[in-house]
Amino acid sequence: MRRILVIDDEPDVRDGIKRVLDRAGFSVRTVDNATDAMLELKRLAADVIITDIIMPKLNGVEAIDCIVREFPMVHIIAISGGGSFDVTGYQPAAITTTAYLAAAKRAGAHCILTKPFESRELIDAVEQVMGTGGA
Amino acid sequence: MARLNATFTNFVTVCVVAIHLVLLPALYFGVGYVIRKSHEDLFVHHARTFARVLADEFEVGAAFDSPAKTSDLLDLAVIHGEALYAELMNGDRSVRSALGSPDITEARRTDLSFATGGDDLYFVVLPIEHAGQSAELRVGFDERPTKERIQLALNRMLFLLAVYLGTAIAAAAYLSNRLSRPIRRLQDVSRSIASGNYAQALQVNTGIRELHDLATDLEAMRRELVGVNDRLRQQILEKEISESSRDELQKQLRHRQRLETVGTLAGGIAHEFNNVLVPIILFTEAAMQDLPRDSTSRGDLERVMTSARRARNVVQKILTFSHVLGDTALAPTDLRSVVGESITLFAALAPPSIEIRTEIDSDVPLVRADATLAGDVIVNLCTNAYQAMQGRNGVLTVGLKNSPPHVELSVTDTGHGMDQATVDRIFEPFFTTRPVGQGTGLGLAVVHGIVESFGAAIAVETRPGAGTTFRILFPIIKDDGRSGGTAPSN
Repeated sequence: MRRILVIDDEPDVRDGIKRVLDRAGFSVRTVDNATDAMLELKRLAADVIITDIIMPKLNGVEAIDCIVREFPMVHIIAISGGGSFDVTGYQPAAITTTAYLAAAKRAGAHCILTKPFESRELIDAVEQVMGTGGA
Repeated sequence: MARLNATFTNFVTVCVVAIHLVLLPALYFGVGYVIRKSHEDLFVHHARTFARVLADEFEVGAAFDSPAKTSDLLDLAVIHGEALYAELMNGDRSVRSALGSPDITEARRTDLSFATGGDDLYFVVLPIEHAGQSAELRVGFDERPTKERIQLALNRMLFLLAVYLGTAIAAAAYLSNRLSRPIRRLQDVSRSIASGNYAQALQVNTGIRELHDLATDLEAMRRELVGVNDRLRQQILEKEISESSRDELQKQLRHRQRLETVGTLAGGIAHEFNNVLVPIILFTEAAMQDLPRDSTSRGDLERVMTSARRARNVVQKILTFSHVLGDTALAPTDLRSVVGESITLFAALAPPSIEIRTEIDSDVPLVRADATLAGDVIVNLCTNAYQAMQGRNGVLTVGLKNSPPHVELSVTDTGHGMDQATVDRIFEPFFTTRPVGQGTGLGLAVVHGIVESFGAAIAVETRPGAGTTFRILFPIIKDDGRSGGTAPSN
């Protein structure tokens, strides 16, 4: 059974993804931050990692960077709903989902998915990365 | 003549009159003397000659012995010699012409000169010797005709001198007026210039070299003045324009900043909403799968799904509106106008210690890009450059070069540069060299993301202390149906 690790700081998002993928026949674990994800991956490997981009502490792009370095076999799906990181700081208007996900892809994500997505899109993404990406 | 109220014409006229008042009487009396003298000399010569001829006639002719002939001869003197008195005195016997003036009774000695003796007569008295007898011829010539001729000549001279004086004054007035006309013209124009009307040319139509040269010199001064004046006006105008355009830019900047804030807020809200929608959609779908196809609850959940999709679309619209999300609208773009607008915007932000230069080719083909995002890239790179030079004077150069098959956009600063370790990481998201709180570390990552979304490439050249150049290579659109470099701006 394919093992999937979901990283998202929103419990409802994590649980929703887990519910859908459990039903689809995957073994799904969830963590709420990237640091825990690294520990979890060391404890038990995963085939696919689904990670949010904008998170407190270690952000998604950094997480992808670490994962690619330490676990090169894993398939990565980056998900983001866009939005800004910091309202007060200097921000070009172009901080978009597109830009975040472009950064994620550059860091090594195999697939990117824009929030919100439906079950079918999520399952398709997982099947797609397992079929093509990784090694 | 130091009086300031004397006009040139008056001055010359008065001078001419004064000169003539001295010269003309002298001339009158000088020439009058000559005229008078010559008439008198002629008269005296005539009188004496006439008297001599008459005396000779008496001495050698036959008239002496005959009183009748003597009288005839004496009559001739009255008729032809303008004499009023003619007498031959022979001892006690006196023969006198009856034609002369009977009032004259006394004959004097020969007059020494003209107009002496208190009457109008000039007496010539000559001794005559005839056949041993002595006699005396006394002829009194009439001086009045000569005096009249002298007077007439003097009157004529006076008339001519008066005519001459009048002509001289008129000529002086005319000439001085003619001389002063170009001077007055220069004066008028000078006053006009002094009162602020610089447009009038200092030109005089005169054949007088000094006045012409003076006008030429003054005209050169005027042109110089006009030039200086125009330059000052131009500078003031430019200053006003630059101030007003600066105001306009700052207004635009504030507007843009407001939009950015709205966009940033909308982005934050969208993030929240999108996260909220994920469990709604996923759990609803999961719940629906557990329910029989004909159950009422499944129909209800279907409606939840429909609403969730609508909510997603609403969020997309908000983001599209606020320019925060939305698919990048790649279209043929004229980078020249993008660069121009971005530089203008950035220049309003930058402190005066930064000199902003642009090196933009005139012929830049269209590239595929989103103008707004491309502008953000430029502003972002410029902001980085400015921060690299912060606190010091520096030059920021934005270049746009047509180097087929690419258009190269470059942003160069003279700032502190970067070492290799930093360069390796600059495009990483959240990487920043700035103190915590001063940068998000997203700028260059976003720049990179945007550049990639355009299908373009970005490179950096830098050395510590030697400034930094970012180069973005945009592929030129193969066939955009238009010739490169003539893209419409804006």
